[in-house]
Amino acid sequence: MGLIDHRFEDNFITTNLDKVLSWARQSSLWPMGFGLACCAIEMMATSASRFDIARFGAEVFRASPRQADLMIVAGTVTKKMAPVLRRLYDQMPEPKWVISMGSCSNAGGPFPTYSVLQGVDKVVPVDVYVSGCPPRPEALLYGLLRLQDKIRKESTVFRKERVIMSGQSEPILVEDRG
Amino acid sequence: MQQLAKLFRMVFLVDLIKGLLVTLKYTPQPAFTFQYPAERRPMAPRFRGLLRLQVEPETGAQTCIVCDQCAKVCPDELIFLGGHREPGHKIKVLDFFDFNLSRCSFCGLCSEVCPTKPVKALIMSEDYELGSYERQKQILRVDEMYDGVEIEQYSR
Repeated sequence: MGLIDHRFEDNFITTNLDKVLSWARQSSLWPMGFGLACCAIEMMATSASRFDIARFGAEVFRASPRQADLMIVAGTVTKKMAPVLRRLYDQMPEPKWVISMGSCSNAGGPFPTYSVLQGVDKVVPVDVYVSGCPPRPEALLYGLLRLQDKIRKESTVFRKERVIMSGQSEPILVEDRG
Repeated sequence: MQQLAKLFRMVFLVDLIKGLLVTLKYTPQPAFTFQYPAERRPMAPRFRGLLRLQVEPETGAQTCIVCDQCAKVCPDELIFLGGHREPGHKIKVLDFFDFNLSRCSFCGLCSEVCPTKPVKALIMSEDYELGSYERQKQILRVDEMYDGVEIEQYSR
């Protein structure tokens, strides 16, 4: 920390507030398990003793959105569920993050139908997309580590406003190739 | 008599000791937790991970013959590939191979149908650590599809 570094006794550590706050945020992410389909089974396995998500400080799966920082959307989001998901997301206190787990919540998966929401990012801003069908518990842990990485890099006071992609959020497979 | 037995159990904490014995039985066992980022589980031989393109192991030549069968068999139409003929080459030259990972359900039909021998052009690899910050990054282009290309990692 520049000027005041090593100016005090040995027992003092100087740092900036951003670092301390983001350290605290990233190491106690309390998830709200939003298990909707088979991905929820893998999410439960991740929180159980074999994979033990508690090693990353995210073991307290909260039933109430008021106590959660992180929403793990695991499974197919139907259009009937989408308003509920948005409402629960709005009820979560800031700062909040969203992990979209599995192909279904990433993009609708193998259900391009009238009843399935084509990607949860149409309703809530997603931070990390974890691919897999369903992702292994390790893959979810990997997604969590990626999210922690993101939290560590982001500013805490001047936080960028998260926006939902409007319009066509499905990436275009066939590019214009001249 | 039943009352007496109940009193005996209450006084000598029989139920509590029973419960603690179960705890004690499991205490000396080694930790069951699997330390994920440090150690990795061995993969099952038929595990289906991320779809990858393979090249000839010695020469590094292209094995894909651009037969378009994987694109046809894919139930969600996630693969789009194309190539062109060149005078000197016997097989078509692969121009682009786009794969939409975001919808993939890892069914493995594309690699099952791949006809190239002895090296299969399309395989379901053992990579499962797939995560991205943006949806655009889940479209894999041909240079990200080759086997052995590193996947974006977190920093520690």
